[in-house]
Amino acid sequence: MFCDEALNAVEPIAAGDVTPDGRIADHLATCPNCAAALDSARRLERMLQARPAPRPGPQFTSRTLARVRRARWRNEQVLDVGFNFAIGAIVLAVVAAVWTVLNRSGLAAVGGDTVNLFGTGMMTMFRRIAPSLPLYGAASAVLASALVLWWWAERGATLSD
Amino acid sequence: MDAVNERELVERCRSGDEGAFQELIERYKDLVFALIARTVQDRARAEDLAQEVFLRIHRGLPYFRGEARLSTWIYRIVANVCVHDQTRPSAQAPTVSLDDEKAGARVAPSVADRQFGDLELRDRLEKAIARLPPNYRLLIAAHYLDGVLYEDLAEALGLPLGTVKTQLYRAKQQLRRLLETELK
Repeated sequence: MFCDEALNAVEPIAAGDVTPDGRIADHLATCPNCAAALDSARRLERMLQARPAPRPGPQFTSRTLARVRRARWRNEQVLDVGFNFAIGAIVLAVVAAVWTVLNRSGLAAVGGDTVNLFGTGMMTMFRRIAPSLPLYGAASAVLASALVLWWWAERGATLSD
Repeated sequence: MDAVNERELVERCRSGDEGAFQELIERYKDLVFALIARTVQDRARAEDLAQEVFLRIHRGLPYFRGEARLSTWIYRIVANVCVHDQTRPSAQAPTVSLDDEKAGARVAPSVADRQFGDLELRDRLEKAIARLPPNYRLLIAAHYLDGVLYEDLAEALGLPLGTVKTQLYRAKQQLRRLLETELK
């Protein structure tokens, strides 16, 4: 019966967490089985303490940093895509809301008339200035030539300084 | 590493200083790698998991409140990564049941007891450790690294100190049983 108690105490004793009290110490001194178990536990303890600690390879830090960078980049990509989708959805929602408001309030019809009016006005204006277009073209060409000459003269002066 | 330096390092990492994070990796890589390599055996897998730990540290630093020590928080991440890795179907190795109290409590001494210390035995020890349940394996791996105290393990694993000690004793009982019987 006492062997059970002693065997349960073997690991704490071998680890140095417990000092065997009188009763258990006496038993360990007289019972060959329990003494052998303690001996075995002590050897295991020494082996575990002597177990070498594996070390990472020399490139470990740089590889880890590269992996962290990649992960961060992927996160940022996901965030960017999410942000772009959100902006797109907001713009669509605003356009849809404006369109709905214009339709419901009848402003869309007024808007159509405004667009037609603007288009007609533009056409009238174009027809009026069409005969003078060659004159405007010639004036623009003279102006452009003058500007080029001025630029060329300035450039020459800068180079000669 | 004292608490002030640790806080400074964490703050620098949080502000996006890559040099600070490199410093953090340099400080903890040996500990993290040793813990994982002792738990998973396969070196390439260990390196991959150790990188995963630092990735999680990087992601988690903004939420690290500094209530626990940085090292304790890192142990916890290592424990999670290792236990999660052991749940992969390909990582399932035959292990000894945690409830095998009878086997653990009754360790019959044998001739093999006299043969500790040689290389063959060391190899047997590694094989025996590989057959322990994942949490026992992690406890054995962590406890026998320099400077890792029972208290650190208890805090990292969220277990009472007494439970950590009891589980360690049971893990060692199972190790002895494996060494003396199945891996003899």
